[in-house]
Amino acid sequence: MPDILFEKSFQINKKDFVHAGEASISAKNLLKSLQMDAGMIRRASICAYEGEMNVVMHGGEGHLALAIEKNRIILEISDNGPGIADTEMAMKKGFSTASDKFRELGFGAGMGLPNMKKNADEFELSSRLGEGTRVRMAFFTDAAV
Amino acid sequence: MEKVSPSRYVHFEKDRCTACYDCVRICPTRALRFRDQAPRLRAGQCIGCGECIRVCSAGAVRAATCKPEHLDRDQISVALVSPVLYSQFPGVHPETVLQALRQMGFRHAVDMSYFLEMFQFATEDYIRRNRKKEESPWPIISPVCPVIVRLIAYKFPNLLANILPVVRPLTVMIREVVRLLNEKYDNPEQPFHLYYIVPCLTKMEPGGPFLKDSSYEVRALGFNDIFGDLRREICKVPWNAPLPDFFDYETTVSSLIWGSSGGETADLKIEDSLAVSGLKECMSYLEKIEMGLFREMEYIEFRTCTEGCVGGILTATDRYLAKRDIQQTILQGGIERRVTRSEFLRFYQEGRFAQKNSLSDMRRIFGVYEKALSLEKMAEIYRLLNHINGKNCAACGAPDCRTFAEDVVRGEACAEDCLELRAREKK
Ligand SMILES: Nc1ncnc2c1ncn2[C@@H]1O[C@H](COP(=O)(O)OP(=O)(O)OP(=O)(O)O)[C@@H](O)[C@H]1O
Ligand SMILES: [Mg+2]
Repeated sequence: MPDILFEKSFQINKKDFVHAGEASISAKNLLKSLQMDAGMIRRASICAYEGEMNVVMHGGEGHLALAIEKNRIILEISDNGPGIADTEMAMKKGFSTASDKFRELGFGAGMGLPNMKKNADEFELSSRLGEGTRVRMAFFTDAAV
Repeated sequence: MEKVSPSRYVHFEKDRCTACYDCVRICPTRALRFRDQAPRLRAGQCIGCGECIRVCSAGAVRAATCKPEHLDRDQISVALVSPVLYSQFPGVHPETVLQALRQMGFRHAVDMSYFLEMFQFATEDYIRRNRKKEESPWPIISPVCPVIVRLIAYKFPNLLANILPVVRPLTVMIREVVRLLNEKYDNPEQPFHLYYIVPCLTKMEPGGPFLKDSSYEVRALGFNDIFGDLRREICKVPWNAPLPDFFDYETTVSSLIWGSSGGETADLKIEDSLAVSGLKECMSYLEKIEMGLFREMEYIEFRTCTEGCVGGILTATDRYLAKRDIQQTILQGGIERRVTRSEFLRFYQEGRFAQKNSLSDMRRIFGVYEKALSLEKMAEIYRLLNHINGKNCAACGAPDCRTFAEDVVRGEACAEDCLELRAREKK
């Protein structure tokens, strides 16, 4: 296991749409002030935001945890919400259980998880009905690729 | 130690300062610290947004001003007029405003909206040609508000690539005006004095990159610097005043729209655009763009001042009154363009929109660089923050605990400046 050089966790509040996105913004700004690889920050920010919105919209109380290693960063977004019945189905482009209310707000295209998978260098979704959901992603700096 | 140097945009009057710290807290780039009974500005970090002026009820923060100095008859002084100026005089025709400027002593007064229309063509052209290309970073961001460009260079450098790579209207205007002046006056000894008349602290770029291709100094003159004199002259303009200027950019009332938020995009012939105004809103949208949102949007107009340039810090008229007058004028007359596509293409082919600044130039010109924090320092910042357990009281002189912790870690402040830490120490 490579050494974790730095760790920080940000809280995500259930159904709090007013502050939705703030955890990802904090994580992004942290990476920016370290002036890490710009492309990696961009990809990680997109994934952090999608993940955070999923927690707010579908999940429960949650966390966005950021760990920085020498040449990569790990994002773990977890919540204690209802969980996903069929994770394979959830990964399909266009699959969404978002309510009409959220669709009116522009969410619910069913593109969040596929987008995260596309932008992350490693992606892992795990969930248990009634217990919660966890998405773990890794991003490598260009130097490491 | 921190570098303190005078800003080109604002200055602080120590005697009036009541030490309320409001300016320190509001600064979007955290350029202010309160030290030795006065706010200290890290001038290189100041983007000229003017928030500190707006928030200071004691009047201790002032806009840097300039007085026109070359208005006597034997000097060639030229007023370059932002159409926002017309909104300060509701019911007065733009031509009358220009004539009044000439009466004030400017040899020429040139309306900018012709170049704004040119710029609009260039924007449409760029977007149409790049629409299908994957590599263009979307959305494209308007380069018109210089404070936004500086804000991006400082806080969102990754988005510099989204800024429309077309020369700003002012630059195109200066190049053309200087070319015409040289044609008219063939005495190379005689200097031209260009004054750009603006509603905000500055539309000037530090170091003025548009001066690269001309030897003429361009100074910014705030509306407030000339408002009183100009109003007096407007009353004196005869109804049948001759138009003595050889700059024949006929001015229409529809150019007024540029003063309002959405004025740049209202008549833009592209598929999808947005107009955002107000510093807070602009920052929140820039954050969102960085998070990958709005990628379907083609163009976003950003204006630092709420409601657009009519809300500029140096305006003399209430922004909402000005907005109402603009809307009434536009409703009556519609929007018309004077520039034709063929005129634009001629300009274009002559390379007058060529953007000379590369991304790294932009970074150098507009950006302020802080040294990157190392992971160890970052960890130290969070360790300190845990100790402070802060309420952002600002008593240390920094705007918030996070900034203070960073100052300490960077060696620019002492931990003892924090009341909380000092109290703990004693226990
Ligand atoms: N944290 C979570 N908790 C419970 N269900 C989730 C969670 N994240 C995703 N899901 C389920 O997976 C589905 C697909 O997620 P995905 O992010 O791909 O699309 P979406 O959120 O519905 O729409 P979009 O992300 O495009 O706005 C969701 O509709 C939801 O049913
Ligand atoms: Mg989603």
